[in-house]
Amino acid sequence: MSGASEAMLLGLVVLVGTLMVAMIGSTYLLLRLREAETRLHEKEDQHQGILDRLQENEYRLRTIIESEPECVKLQAADGTVLEINPAGLRLLDAGRPEDIIGTKIYDVVAQEYKDIYRENMRRVFAGEAVVYEFKSITLKGRVCWMETHAVPLRDARGAVYALLGITRDITEHKWAEEQGRRHQTELARVARLSTMGEMATGLAHELNQPLSAIANFARGCIRRLRSGDVAPADLIEPLEEVCEQAERAGEIMRHVRDFVRKSEPRMTAVDINLVVRSVVKFTEHEARQNETVVTLHLAPQQPRVWADSIMVEQVVCNLVRNAMEAMAETRTLRREIIIRTVRNGGDFVEVEVIDTGPGIDGAVIDQIFDQFFTTKPEGVGMGLSISRSIVESHGGSIRAESRAGGGATFRFTLKAIPIRLNRDERRYSLHS
Amino acid sequence: MSDATVFIVDDDQAVARSLRWLIETVRLQVETFASAQAFLDGYDAAKPGCLVLDVRMPGMSGLELQERLAARRCYHVPIIFITGHGDVQMAVRAVQAGAFDFVEKPFNDQDLLDRIQRAIAHDAGQRGKEAQRAQLKALFAGLTPREREVLDLVVEGLSNKAVANALGLSAKTVEVHRAKVMEKLHARSISDLVKMAMQNQAP
Repeated sequence: MSGASEAMLLGLVVLVGTLMVAMIGSTYLLLRLREAETRLHEKEDQHQGILDRLQENEYRLRTIIESEPECVKLQAADGTVLEINPAGLRLLDAGRPEDIIGTKIYDVVAQEYKDIYRENMRRVFAGEAVVYEFKSITLKGRVCWMETHAVPLRDARGAVYALLGITRDITEHKWAEEQGRRHQTELARVARLSTMGEMATGLAHELNQPLSAIANFARGCIRRLRSGDVAPADLIEPLEEVCEQAERAGEIMRHVRDFVRKSEPRMTAVDINLVVRSVVKFTEHEARQNETVVTLHLAPQQPRVWADSIMVEQVVCNLVRNAMEAMAETRTLRREIIIRTVRNGGDFVEVEVIDTGPGIDGAVIDQIFDQFFTTKPEGVGMGLSISRSIVESHGGSIRAESRAGGGATFRFTLKAIPIRLNRDERRYSLHS
Repeated sequence: MSDATVFIVDDDQAVARSLRWLIETVRLQVETFASAQAFLDGYDAAKPGCLVLDVRMPGMSGLELQERLAARRCYHVPIIFITGHGDVQMAVRAVQAGAFDFVEKPFNDQDLLDRIQRAIAHDAGQRGKEAQRAQLKALFAGLTPREREVLDLVVEGLSNKAVANALGLSAKTVEVHRAKVMEKLHARSISDLVKMAMQNQAP
C-alpha cells in the first residue's frame, strides 16, 4: 500500500466514523425532541385542565354566591363595596348593582353604629373573623337590623385585600328580643316601685299604731283632767302607756335605719373615668333605643377619688338615665349626652352630664334634689335625692343648671386623692 | 252610764286599750276583742251600741268580719271602720257594703266620739223599729187563719157584705171576726188596721 492510499483509507474511516457519530447524534436529538414535544403537549393538556377546573370552580362559586339567599359582599378597607350578590341588593333596597358597588358601606349604616362598624372592619383587616350587629338604613330609608359574619380575604402573599361579609336581616328577631327586654325592664321598674311603695306603706302603718295609741291615751287624760273627776294616781298608768308607745315608735325607726344601713359603703381609690365608661357601657342599649349619642370628654390622668365605685356609678347612671328620659319626652332634634370629667383645681374631680333636652323649669330647679319631687308621670322622685345624698356622703356637691340654648347640665364633684398620697397610689394613677 | 256598749276589735292591744281609755270619758261601756274571730265568738248581739273596727288586721280583716256579720242575715250593731293612711278605697268599699261610717288615722278624738254617739243613736233607732216590728209580728201571729182571711179582704177595701160573699160566710159572722181582729191587734179603726197590715208586710 502506498502512503497516499493509506491516507485515503484513514480519511474514509474518519469520514464514516464522523457520519456515524452524526447520525447517531441526530437520531438521539430527534428522539429527545420528540420526547420534549410529547411532554409539551402533555403540559398543555394539563394546563388546559387546570384552566377548565379553575373556570368551573369560579362558575360554581359564582352560582353559589348569586343564588345565596343571604347578602354576600366584598368590601375594601375604606368601606368601598367591591362586589355584592342579588340578595344583598334586595336587602339594601338597591335596584342595580351600580347603586351599591363603588359606594361606601357606611352610607347604609345608621349614625350611632358607624363607629362600631368601623371598629369591626378594622379587626377584619387585621386578620380576625368577626360577627357584629348593627342598625342599617337602606337606600329607601327603611330601618332594619343586620347581623354580619365577616372574614378577611387574603392574596397570594397572605395580605388581607378585602372583607367578605355575609349579612342577614335580623329585624324581626331583634324586635322580639327588644320586646322581651322592654318587658323585663318594665317588670324590674314595677318591682322596684312596689317594693318601695310597700315599704313606705308598711312603715306608715307600723308608725300609725303607736302614734294613735299615744294620742288616744293623752286625750283621754286631758278630757278627764278637764272634767275634774279623776284622781292624779289614775293617770299614771295611761301616761306610762304613752311612754311605752313612744319607745315602740322609736324602735320601729331604729329598725328602718338598720335596714337602710345594711349596705355599708366600700371605699376604694376609684378612677372616675372607668366609672363613667362602665355606666356608658351598661346604658348603651337604652341610649340606642332612645337614639341618643353619648359623647365622652374624659380628662386623661385624673387623680383618683376615694369612693364607693358602685354608689358613684349609681349617681352617673341616674344622671344619664334622667337625661335620656328628658330628651325622650320632647321632640328634641338632636339627642346627645356629653359626659365630661374635669380636674377641678387640685382637690376635686368634677363630672358633668350635659344633655340637649328641654332643660329644667326655673321654678323647680331648687326642688329637683328633694325627696319625692318628680316631673315624670311615673317617677317616684328618689333618683336625684339619692344621688345628692351619695355625693354629699363622699364630701362632694351636686348642682343642676338649665342652659340658655336648651338642655340641662348636672355637675357633681368628688374629693380627689392627692397624687402624692403614697407611692403605690401614685404609680397606679399614672398607669391607669 | 248609758246602756250602750262600744265593741272594739283591734289586733293591736295598745291601740285597743287607748281607745277604751278615750271612749270611757264619755261614759260608755267598752268591750275589746283582739281579733275578728274573737268578736264573732264572743259578742252578744242583743247588746245595743256600735262596733269600732280596724280595717287592717292579720287573720280575718275588718272587711271580712263585716261580710260575716252581713251573712248572718239578722240585725247587727252599726260599724265604724278605722282606716290607716291610704286605705280610703277600702273604707269606701266598707261603706258601700253597709258600714255606718269610717275615720281615718290619725283621727281627732272629738270626731271619733261624735261618730260613735251617732252610731249608737242610729242603733237605738234601729232597735226601736226592730222591737215594734217584732211586737206586730207577735200580734199577727195571734190571729186564726179565718181571721187572717177576713183581715186581708177588709184591708183590700171590701165591705162586710162583699167579704161574706167572697168567703161564703154570713155578714154576721164576718162582723164577729172583724171585731175579734180589731181587738187582737189593738186597732181602733179600719185605717189603723190598714197601717198595721202594711207595716207587717214591709221587710
